[in-house]
Amino acid sequence: MKTKFGMLLALLGLFTVPVLAHHGFDTEYDKDQKLELTGVVTQVSWMNPHMRVYINVTDKDGTVTNYNCELDSPNNVRRLGWGKDDLMPGDKVNFEANPGKIVKNRVALVKITKAGEDKPLFKRTRVDDGKQ
Amino acid sequence: MRPAPRLPDGHPDFSGPWDGCWKSGPGGCYGGGTNNDIEQDLEMKPGELDALLQPWAKEVRSKRVEKDEPYVGCLPEGVPRINPYGTRFAESYTAKGLTHIFILHENGDSGAHRQIFMDGRKHPGENDLFPTWFGHSIGWWDGDTLVVDTVGYNDKFWIDGKGTPHTEQMHTIERYSRPNYGTLLLDFVLDDPGAFTRPIEYRFQFKAMRPDLDLMEFICLEDNEYGIAGGFTPADENGEKEKAKEQAQPSK
Repeated sequence: MKTKFGMLLALLGLFTVPVLAHHGFDTEYDKDQKLELTGVVTQVSWMNPHMRVYINVTDKDGTVTNYNCELDSPNNVRRLGWGKDDLMPGDKVNFEANPGKIVKNRVALVKITKAGEDKPLFKRTRVDDGKQ
Repeated sequence: MRPAPRLPDGHPDFSGPWDGCWKSGPGGCYGGGTNNDIEQDLEMKPGELDALLQPWAKEVRSKRVEKDEPYVGCLPEGVPRINPYGTRFAESYTAKGLTHIFILHENGDSGAHRQIFMDGRKHPGENDLFPTWFGHSIGWWDGDTLVVDTVGYNDKFWIDGKGTPHTEQMHTIERYSRPNYGTLLLDFVLDDPGAFTRPIEYRFQFKAMRPDLDLMEFICLEDNEYGIAGGFTPADENGEKEKAKEQAQPSK
């Protein structure tokens, strides 16, 4: 219940959370490009300074690419109401992300939604958020 | 509006926790301290900062790039840049009364804690004042205002993400007050004749965190992958670290 309440607050914009708080965004990621992909979660890493979700994406030729998706700090993601079990390896997800300027499968997550659900589990509140 | 709570000794309770990250700008969130750009964070007019910087400091600022800054390598941000993070004042009462106040910052190892001596001591003499990331702080009460006077900063941290420099001459005076339950004000003076042409004064503001939130652990070095997506290593603009590693490899 607390989790849902937190997500509701986040969606309503009542509780803003800095994204990529440890450093700026533009230095590493290309904000002018946005990927929209579907994949299967392989790992959810609750580590500092920024949480990461790893997602396998299979293209039309059958090639699998593992995307390293950077979020905000684990603390700030928890404050959005995201619980430990809310996203697990094996979950199918739709996600949007800005690719790395050099390493394209390292991405800054914009939004992630579990397949079959409407409300995103995580949605970046401000694209240009940088150092805190 | 609810009044500020008070400590058993009658002084205002500043414990918090506080959120200094409630204003939004191109560089991210700020409010309680400097962040990405001191000129913007302190509501200066564009170009106004140039007149406040010594020529060498202006030049250094213009040449610095984000990937070289100590903070992205998980080193501390110093004062007052540390403040947008979640902050708590831990008032430490001993048999002698309020002898210390520790200011805790959520970014943990990269922010560490500040130690404010409230026992009436003075700053150490020049020979014993070793430059550190958070300097040497002494504090006292001026009515309901907590005054924190700090000297002995090192010159390693950047005051903002743009690379605004300072020197070991930096002296800060912070005056904290809590006009109501939800607000903590910081009247801040930064005096560094080594880098600035005159003292800078600004009023920062913190807001009380939501009651169900608290500070959490943050160990910055745990998995700092900064730079990899952009093809670089922090503080290694010219690849010197990588070159050194190659040279250290035994010849094949």
